[in-house]
Amino acid sequence: MLTIVNHLQGLTHLATEAGVEAGEGPGPIVPELKELAWGAGSFIVFAIAMRFWLFPRLKAGMEARYAGIRADHEAADAERASARAEVADYEAQLVAVKAEAAAKVDAARQTLEAERQEQLTALNARLADERAAAAAETEAAKAAVRDQIHAAVADVAGRAGELATGRVPDAAVVARVVDEVMAR
Amino acid sequence: MLAEAFKFPEINAILRWQDIFTSFNKIALIAVAAAVIGIVVFLLAGNKDAKVAPKGVRNLAETTVEFIEDGIVMQTMGKSGLGWTPFLLSLFIFIYLCNVPGIIPILQMPATARMAIPMFLALLVWVVYNGVGFKHQGITYLTHTIWPPGVPVALKPLVGVIEFISNIIVRPFSLTVRLFANMLAGHILLVTFALLTQSLITAETQQLLLKPMAILPFFMLVFLTAFEVLVAFLQAYIFTILTAVYIGGAAHPEH
Amino acid sequence: MEAFSMLAQLTGDEEKAAQAASSAGFAYGLAAIGPGIGIGYLVGKSVEAMARQPEAAGMVRTTMFLGIAFTEALALIGFVVFILIGL
Repeated sequence: MLTIVNHLQGLTHLATEAGVEAGEGPGPIVPELKELAWGAGSFIVFAIAMRFWLFPRLKAGMEARYAGIRADHEAADAERASARAEVADYEAQLVAVKAEAAAKVDAARQTLEAERQEQLTALNARLADERAAAAAETEAAKAAVRDQIHAAVADVAGRAGELATGRVPDAAVVARVVDEVMAR
Repeated sequence: MLAEAFKFPEINAILRWQDIFTSFNKIALIAVAAAVIGIVVFLLAGNKDAKVAPKGVRNLAETTVEFIEDGIVMQTMGKSGLGWTPFLLSLFIFIYLCNVPGIIPILQMPATARMAIPMFLALLVWVVYNGVGFKHQGITYLTHTIWPPGVPVALKPLVGVIEFISNIIVRPFSLTVRLFANMLAGHILLVTFALLTQSLITAETQQLLLKPMAILPFFMLVFLTAFEVLVAFLQAYIFTILTAVYIGGAAHPEH
Repeated sequence: MEAFSMLAQLTGDEEKAAQAASSAGFAYGLAAIGPGIGIGYLVGKSVEAMARQPEAAGMVRTTMFLGIAFTEALALIGFVVFILIGL
């Protein structure tokens, strides 16, 4: 408690310490010359020191650091841009290679298709030939069988006519009649 | 009984200080100390390596510089006013360091609670902003100040008188009084509550409740001390920003 | 009322001092009314503006301090008058 009191006296113990009697001195709002002089002197010294010496030094340091930071930023930006360019380059190459591959695949496919078509045509041709040959053979066989049937039928018909009429029918007539019947 | 125990001292007794040596009293000591502390802080800050991230005293100095640049110059004058940073910086630091002893034990006196320093600073600012006005606008500064553009001719005499008084006379006066009266009022409040506390503690009385009651003005004293921390900063800030506004207005009248 | 009757009994310098003290009190009290209302209004409006547009808070705050400084000056002149005539 005593220390608090002592401390408070720093604020209140003024009259005795300062040795100023009540009512002495100018009014409280009148500036005193000695205070004015000391205050003005110290402010002017401070302001001039700040303007021409302290501030430029500090500011130069700050600017240098900011410039460094800015340069670092710019370097990082440049690096990022170059990396981006590299990526773009790579992608362009990739596209080119892909196009080339596609072209090759396309060409190969076309070649293949042509070959297939060619072989298919050849095969079809051979098949048609074989079919035609087989058809001709069949036709020939059919004709042969028909001739045999014709001969046999004419024979039978001639013989039947001979038995029925007692005379041998004209072979040419029999052949014509058989022809008509078979054609029906 | 209590009223007799508590007697407020003469105003001069709480403001005027005995000379430490011839013509050098506590106010002068605080003013000189403010300048020396400012110079030493910026000297030490400037000596530190500027390349690494700032810390300690350099951080303090750079924060202050950036506060002046971003918080005051850019807000009131724009980019063209950045050349005024050193002046405003020294103004701010000097006023702040003159205000703050009001709450520092042993010193217990804001140097700006005396008329001398606020008056000198306000007059300096007055000279500076008028000088800037004449330098930037020549003699038209005077007519621009007295008759803002767009005033009808019929109103010119009236507006002229009002603007002349408000720009040329009231500005330095209010600048002075604002700083001085704020710090003086704060000082008187602190003294009042310190005296109340002291007289309650030391009161020679039979009433038991009286002495513990000292806690009430003591709490008020603590609160006001915290408030004075804010006021010391705020008054330095306001003085500086008004200086910036006046200089900016004199340099570029259209703002 | 007792105070006024006591005032009537004073003479000469005492009366002058008492009048000065009471008029100083009146002067400061009157000087504080306007700025008090003004600063309250000003800060209230500024807070409203800052709440509406938080992105403009910095500018509003600067302008608010300027306004407070101008308004407060009136109260402070009253305070100086109080010092001048009262103490």
